[in-house]
This record gives sequence, C-alpha cells and structure tokens, in this order.
Amino acid sequence: MKKFELLEHRADLKIKVKGSSKEELFLNALLGMEEGLRPETKETKEEIKREIRIKSIDLPALLIDFLSEVLYLIQVNKETYHNIEFKKFADTEVEAELLGQKVERFGEDIKAVTYHQLDVHQRKDGTWEATVLFDV
Amino acid sequence: MISKKDFRKISDYLWEIPKTFRADMRVPARVYVSEKMLEESFKDRSLEQLVNVASLPGIQKYALAMPDMHEGYASCIGGVAAIRISDGIISPGTQGYDINCGMKLLKSEYSKTEIEPYLDRLATEIQKEVPSGLGQGKQIKFSVKQIDRILEGGIPELIEQGYGEKEDVENCESRGKMDWADASVVSEHAKDRGRDQVGTLGSGNHFMELQKVEKIFDEKTAEIFGLFKDQVVVMIHCGSRGLGHQVCTDYLREFIPLMEGKYKIRVPDREFACVPFNSPEGQRYFGAMASSANYAWANRQMIAYFIRKAWKSVLGEKSFPLAVLYDIAHNIIKKEKYVVDGKEIEVAVHRKGATRSFPPGSPEIPEKYRQVGQPVLIPGSMGTASYILVGTKEGETSFFSTCHGAGRTMSRHAAMRKISGPEVVRQLEAKKIIVKCRSLRGIAEEAPLAYKNIDDVVEVVHQAGLSKKVARLIPLAVIKGE
Repeated sequence: MKKFELLEHRADLKIKVKGSSKEELFLNALLGMEEGLRPETKETKEEIKREIRIKSIDLPALLIDFLSEVLYLIQVNKETYHNIEFKKFADTEVEAELLGQKVERFGEDIKAVTYHQLDVHQRKDGTWEATVLFDV
Repeated sequence: MISKKDFRKISDYLWEIPKTFRADMRVPARVYVSEKMLEESFKDRSLEQLVNVASLPGIQKYALAMPDMHEGYASCIGGVAAIRISDGIISPGTQGYDINCGMKLLKSEYSKTEIEPYLDRLATEIQKEVPSGLGQGKQIKFSVKQIDRILEGGIPELIEQGYGEKEDVENCESRGKMDWADASVVSEHAKDRGRDQVGTLGSGNHFMELQKVEKIFDEKTAEIFGLFKDQVVVMIHCGSRGLGHQVCTDYLREFIPLMEGKYKIRVPDREFACVPFNSPEGQRYFGAMASSANYAWANRQMIAYFIRKAWKSVLGEKSFPLAVLYDIAHNIIKKEKYVVDGKEIEVAVHRKGATRSFPPGSPEIPEKYRQVGQPVLIPGSMGTASYILVGTKEGETSFFSTCHGAGRTMSRHAAMRKISGPEVVRQLEAKKIIVKCRSLRGIAEEAPLAYKNIDDVVEVVHQAGLSKKVARLIPLAVIKGE
C-alpha cells in the first residue's frame, strides 16, 4: 500500500494518505506533509524525541490539529520526524512521542494545514484513507 | 456545477450570479472578468467558493471576485466580502493564513542605464542580505518581549529602533500599525515561530525584484508618486511568515467548535471558521489579526532595511537612498464605512488576494497622494510585468478593492511537468533578466506559464474602473532569498 500520494491542486498542496489503521494514517499524513517541506537532513545519528498531546472535536479535526502541531514543532525546532509512538489514541484525543532528527534547511514552506475539503474515512477493507490540503 | 448560463452580464468586465442561484445565498456573487476569463474560471472551484462566500451571515451587497481569482480554501483567492459588524461574522478563512501578505515598493533616483553596471552585484548582495528563513541563514532572533513590541508597534516600533526612515511610516497602509493590536491574544506558539523570522522572505511566490519603469500611463499621478520612465525600483512581496500562519491556525481550531456549537452558524465549509464579529472570541481574533498584520509590516520594513544596506554597500555611502512609494496588504480584514441602502454602516472588509484601493481625497492615505488616490502595487508572475495603479472613486462599487496579482492557472506539479527549472532560467536570461534563486525546482513551480497574463488582469480592473493604470514595470533581476 502506498503511504501517500500528491494530488493535483491549482495553488496548494493536496495529498491522499492511506493507512491500515488510524494510527498509521496519522503517521503517513505526517510523512506526506514532511515530503512537501523538502527537508535537507543533517548528517547526525542523534535521535530527537518530542511529546505531543492534542484534543479535538472529532477525528477529521484531530488529524488536522495533530498535523498543525507537528508543523509547529518542525518549523520552530528545524526537525523532521520519521516515527510516532502513540501512548493514547481515540477519535478526539491523541498523546504520542515523535521521533526525529535535525534538519539543515527546508526547500519549501508550508504555511498551514487546512480543514478545506477534508475527508477522513474507513474503506470497506478496513483500511483508512484521508485527503488533506496544505496552504503553501 | 456553475456554468455561463447561470450568469447575468452587467458589463463587459462584470458578471453576476443572482441570489436565486442557491437557496443559502444572502447576496449575489459578482465577478470582475472579461468574457474569455469567465470561460477559464469554470476550470476550477473558485466560483463555487465565491457562492459560498455569498452565504456568510452579515455580508453586504455582493460577494466579489477579482480577475486574478483562483481556487483557494474556504473562499477563493481574489475574493472580497464586506460583512456588517453589528450582526455579521469574522472569518479567518476568508482572509487567508498569510495575514497581511502584501507588497512594498522602494524607488531609486537612478535610471536603468545608471544601475546596469551594478545590477548583478546588487542582486547578489540583496540575496545575501535577505534570508529566506527556511534554513540556518543569518537571521535576527528577537526575544518574546521584543516580538510583543513589534506585534503592537508595527513599523513605527522598528523605525524607533533604527531600521528605517520616519517617512517609511507615512508611506504605508494604516501607517504600518493597527492600534487595536493586542499581543496578549497571540499564542506562544505563534510568537515562537515569529522570533527569528522578522526580515525573512519565505518561499513559494514570495520574491524581491529589481525592476525598471517601462511605461507611464498617467503622467500627473506618476509625478506625484515620484515615478519616471526607466527608473529603477525594488519590489518586495511577502507576509507575516510563520507567526501569521500560526495565528490563523490557532483561531481556526478554536472557532470551528464555537461556530458549530455555541454560535450555531451554518457554513458550507468548516474552513470558514467564523464567529460573530462582536463576540469576545471575534474581538480576540481581530486583535490577533491586527498584531500579525503589524508583524508583516515590520517584516517588509526589515527586508527594506536589508535591501538599503545592500544598495549602499554596492553603490556607495553617498549614493541616492531608496525611498518607499507605498506598502499595502492583500490578505487582511479592515473596519471600513460604506453607504448601503442609503445608510452608512461599518463593515469588516475581508480581502483575500485583493488589494485596498482608496480614492482621491481619502483621509486614510498619505497627504501627498490624496489629490490623486492611493498607490496600488500589483506584482506579475516571475519574469513578467508588474503594475502600479491608483485608487478611484468608482472603486466604491467593489468596497475600494482591486486585484492583487496574476493568479495561478496551473498547479505547481503541472508547471514542473511543462517546464524545467533550468529552462525557466534560460528563458529569463534570454530576456536579460538576472535570476538569483537557491532552488531550481522553486523556479519551475513559479514559471510564468503557471499564471494568468498580468496585462489581461490589470486591463479588467482598469476598464471596470476599480483602479487605474499609472505605470508598468518590467523585471531586471529576480531574487528569491538566501
């Protein structure tokens, strides 16, 4: 299963994300967003850990609010994350640790994660799919 | 789907979707385009998004779209909505994440012939001085306390610290500072993102350009604006960077549950995220938005400071300095007064990819421009022309708003499939335009073929009377930071 694919959008960055579970969907959405930032990672083996806690009104909003918080951490700390260790995961709440590394620079800026035309759903085969639009 | 049959032609440059088109429309939707551009506009969802804007509580007269409109999120880019303050809403999604994204133009006293021998060095030095903010480049890092002062003090605060001239304050929309800014309603997250980004350009379509005045359309206004043929000017396009993006993100997150729960406002897209303008939450956002706008003005002011430094280091301490023509936002919410149905009312004008264009006599514009109207700065796509326009009395029909640029017609990926970065550079160099850009990919994404023709866009606002042509500028060097 492809983790994510970039879709056509006239002005912004739109991605379709897949995951065998909601947790994997969140991870793959994070990885898709990071690809959009085109990071140049530093030559270092040091692994960085960041705590993250988000509460939202429903699952679609939770995905967006989670990505927005990760985007904040990425940009303020100049880091990217390659894995998430979930400590708590419900449709309106997530608690997790992000694992990542330092970044030299980003090739592109993402201004924000939008709720526009947001779609998060479970497919008949039990896997999850989401479409997210980023303002770039 | 919206098609041509749903429109009523008002004039050659104005088309209307009547209120009867969809049950939830409170006002008609009006689009300033030529017939040819109207046909093009059916290719994306911008018209549907404009109809959505027409459904917002408190909207007055029309939901408006400018000729550079294209699909955005919630409302379309190139959209204007004037919303009555007494009973209407405030909507961060109808103004955009890049709060006070806008333009600043610096004028020189030199002609192209005089600057030509220094052009490459100037472009190199400007690129070196102005960081993009995406890497580890040299950036000034402010404390949160200093950021608070910028959020509430805007350009005047920076001038006090020595980053510019007193005249720079006057030559800016709202004199570079909105008084109702309140740093206490801006999150720590936003301030963190803003600490090292004052004076940074960002990426995407943000740029600096050395340009020359190629053509003057209106001699009298050009003279008052201090413009002459072949003059070298510097154009800056950028906004409030991570700070503004975070403010918009924070309030969208807060407003969606409030909109759906507490205030029970129904909108066609969550991204509108609106609450009543006069609610405590709405007022907090208005204060945070003003703070971000002040930050953006400070950002462009700091970039101008860096450019002036580069200018002096190349041309010498005794060279004629760069003076600001004007600085104007194209993503902002402003309180303004208009007569609607014979009564003057106060509205919150949401401009998203639209430029304020005040008429002659407006007390809001610098005294020296009052006789002719407000300067309007319209950037073209990379390597193409840009324009200086002037506000008109007729512009009242669009709540004194006009276009903001060329407007995309093609996605970034489609642009990259059509043309490579090196090919774009080759084409620009063939036109004798110097290009300074770290990423060739970024260059391909912003290729002129991905945008509407700026001449067509400006012709519409000129013919429709929303603002009039003063000068056409062409690029000499394009600089994209670091």
